[in-house]
Amino acid sequence: MQSKKSLRDFSLLIALVVICAFFAIVSPQFLSARNLSLLTTELSITATLAMGMLLVILPGNIDLSAGSGVGLLGGIASVLVFEHKWPAPLAMGIALAIGILIWFCMGNLVVRQKMPAFIITLGGLLIFKGLFWLVIHNSTIPIVQGGRANLYSVLTTFYLPLIAGYALAALIVVALIVGKLRARKARQAYGFAVEDGEVVFLKLFLAAQLIFLFVVVTNKFRGIPFSAVILGVTAFAVYVLTTHTPFGRYLYAIGGNEEAAIISGVPVEKVVVGSFSIMGAIVAITGFMQTSYSGASTTTVGDLMELDAIAACVIGGVSLKGGQGTVPGVLFGALIMACLLNGMTLLAVSPEFKFIARGAVLSLAVWMDVRLRRKLL
Amino acid sequence: MNPVVLEAEKIIKKFLGVVALKDISFNLRAGEIHGLCGENGAGKSTLIKLLSGIYPYGSYEGDFFVHGQLAKFRSLADAQKAGIAVIYQELALVDDMTVGENIFLGAEPPAVQGLIDWHRVYHDARLLLEKFNVGIDPSEPIAKLGMGQKQLVEIVKALSKNSNILILDEPTAALAEHEVLILLDILRDLRSRGIASIYISHKLDELFAVCDRITVLRDGSSIATLETKRTNKAQIIKHMVGREIRDLFPRRQSKLGASVLEIENLTVADPHSGQPFLSDIKFSLRVGEVLGIGALMGAGRTELLMHLFGAWGRRLSGSVRLNGRELSARKPEEIIRRGMVLVSEDRRRYGLILDKTIAFNLSLSSLAKLTKNRLIDQGLEFQKNNHFFQSLRVKAPTLEELVAKLSGGTQQKIVLGKALMTEPLVIFLDEPTRGIDVGAKLEIYAIINRLTDAGKAVLLVSSELPELIGMSDRIVILHEGRIGGEFDRDEATPEKLLAAAMGQRHVALT
Repeated sequence: MQSKKSLRDFSLLIALVVICAFFAIVSPQFLSARNLSLLTTELSITATLAMGMLLVILPGNIDLSAGSGVGLLGGIASVLVFEHKWPAPLAMGIALAIGILIWFCMGNLVVRQKMPAFIITLGGLLIFKGLFWLVIHNSTIPIVQGGRANLYSVLTTFYLPLIAGYALAALIVVALIVGKLRARKARQAYGFAVEDGEVVFLKLFLAAQLIFLFVVVTNKFRGIPFSAVILGVTAFAVYVLTTHTPFGRYLYAIGGNEEAAIISGVPVEKVVVGSFSIMGAIVAITGFMQTSYSGASTTTVGDLMELDAIAACVIGGVSLKGGQGTVPGVLFGALIMACLLNGMTLLAVSPEFKFIARGAVLSLAVWMDVRLRRKLL
Repeated sequence: MNPVVLEAEKIIKKFLGVVALKDISFNLRAGEIHGLCGENGAGKSTLIKLLSGIYPYGSYEGDFFVHGQLAKFRSLADAQKAGIAVIYQELALVDDMTVGENIFLGAEPPAVQGLIDWHRVYHDARLLLEKFNVGIDPSEPIAKLGMGQKQLVEIVKALSKNSNILILDEPTAALAEHEVLILLDILRDLRSRGIASIYISHKLDELFAVCDRITVLRDGSSIATLETKRTNKAQIIKHMVGREIRDLFPRRQSKLGASVLEIENLTVADPHSGQPFLSDIKFSLRVGEVLGIGALMGAGRTELLMHLFGAWGRRLSGSVRLNGRELSARKPEEIIRRGMVLVSEDRRRYGLILDKTIAFNLSLSSLAKLTKNRLIDQGLEFQKNNHFFQSLRVKAPTLEELVAKLSGGTQQKIVLGKALMTEPLVIFLDEPTRGIDVGAKLEIYAIINRLTDAGKAVLLVSSELPELIGMSDRIVILHEGRIGGEFDRDEATPEKLLAAAMGQRHVALT
């Protein structure tokens, strides 16, 4: 078990290092504080959406409509803010509610009408795109009114004060150490296998280093991006949900064997609808971030984002059949995707080749996954 | 007397040391319909698989001869070439294609310029159907045909390959009365054309109506071959059962308490066909009691359990009362909460999440009880898991072992543990000892005794008569979706149970 995991993580780590090294050599700007800060924001957007995607894929479904949904829900909020002069928090709240409602309905279609999620969300992809263009009248809707920043526009332009960044980092490291040690003690008490003490120390040490390094780098350029905080909160919530609640267990059980889950008393319908509803909320939040990052709602906002989210999941070890996948894995997958996209943008790679490279990396990741799994099982 | 077309001599077949066929010898003559019968697990399916080439030559001991030649089949195709065709219970027809397409599927007439000559396909199909007096239009889609007609198409398809030995495995299991009559007529017609048939069935009436001779299998041996004219049903049943119930079943009678589950006039429709599948089911279950439910395959025992558990069928009428209160819940999760739980016969399909750990599976049905402030209390979960891990003596290093890696008996204990953790009043056990070794079986029987001692009630479905008689305090037999008989432990004998399961209310034993 343990060696299996580490081998797989290892291959991902190598891929990440190779990608970063390549871009660092070809384009020295890649490792500049400014670019890493941008990269963080881009990662936050992709990874947040991938968190929702994980919840949908775990019980064996898929969401192809997420990208269009990002555009639509961001668009609704920007129209309310810019054209109808609503306060940003209210506009975002409305869009969030609409997102939850739409995805709640799609989840119901999946479980009650037994329609495949692939088809429903494919329909959603087209419908939401059309609605999005209707909502923004095929034009560009800024998200600021009268040049004044609001909650919506600062999503991706606000940075935590430098001192707050350090404080946050310290807090996270302490929480990490305490959590890890408590879990380890508990496992020991119950007679489960635990990792070697030195390995634990090394891992924690490494994690702490990375966290502080991250803060140091981002603080060199304005501070920790607010979007990273949104990702952190989302990822933590999804992590707790998947590992510490009955709802999370049920997601894995349904994906592993739906019939056995039903007989075991898992409320399959409620759980799947729940996973879709949460996805709706996450799509809305991602929509706000992506629109804010673009500076305005335009017809291309959200294009292909569902595929980046799915790719992040798959690269991170999520099985499209359901039942397998973890939050850290998906974060890692999203990081690889974000580095790749960011690096190519820096190099001014033409869009044609960007598409090809994204597709190639996704295929490569799946191929590697299939091979590794076959070898290890 | 007609020549022998198929002869089996002392066939023995073992699977990893487990003997499935001990000693099978019989012969089949041209122009004969030869019945094969035996209890579930007597070796009928294994024998068919051997005759049809699924178990290749060399994987068994003993020989069989087709038309006097030693058969050395390596595949289904070899058996087909030798003229053997098998009609299985599950038909191998493509629903979306027409009758003609199905008959020639994989054997389309020679193509001209790479294209199939559809006119010729339908022409030839029509000739074949007419030849065997089957009145079905070859351009009809299979999906529109009834089960009986499909069976006939399957037979014509088999005969189109010039087969002269036909093996029919429970061909009437899914047929209505009038369809059975048509099928039997066709078989008689084939007999007059010199085609030899092996007819496998649980239904004694049919065997006696159509067979020339009947061979009885029991525990993997051919016990006797009898001429239909010179025997009777009672004799056949006696041969089928023919053994003492060994002292394998340590059922301890528990103190019986109040009635906990009462079922009255339950009629349930098949969700696909809409036709009533279970009719007028009525029985009750008391605290500390094991009620056995016996039936032949397809008579509705699994469907009954699945329906009571809210996972199968549409209720047309009847009532189910748990502890005197009408049970209105219709979903497994609600029914578990009310105190009933099901251990399914198919543990890999309905029982386990195979690629998860023992701990994950054990607590899956009880998570709601293990939650504090919406989060799973992992300490409490571990204590519960560990309790069942120890008390069921699960053979695995730790709770974190993947379930897929465990043996059948150990997996069964996990499913059982998961059910028991829900603290049920009534436990449905559907074939709890299928496919597990004797040691694990005895452990499961001991668990059943512990459960009834602790005041639980058990509904035990089993297709093994000795197990049913050995472990039940009372036995209800289902026959074609109805109650075929109810027996106390003391009055139950294998003969009586089998007779009831076959729809024979009174069998005079001679």
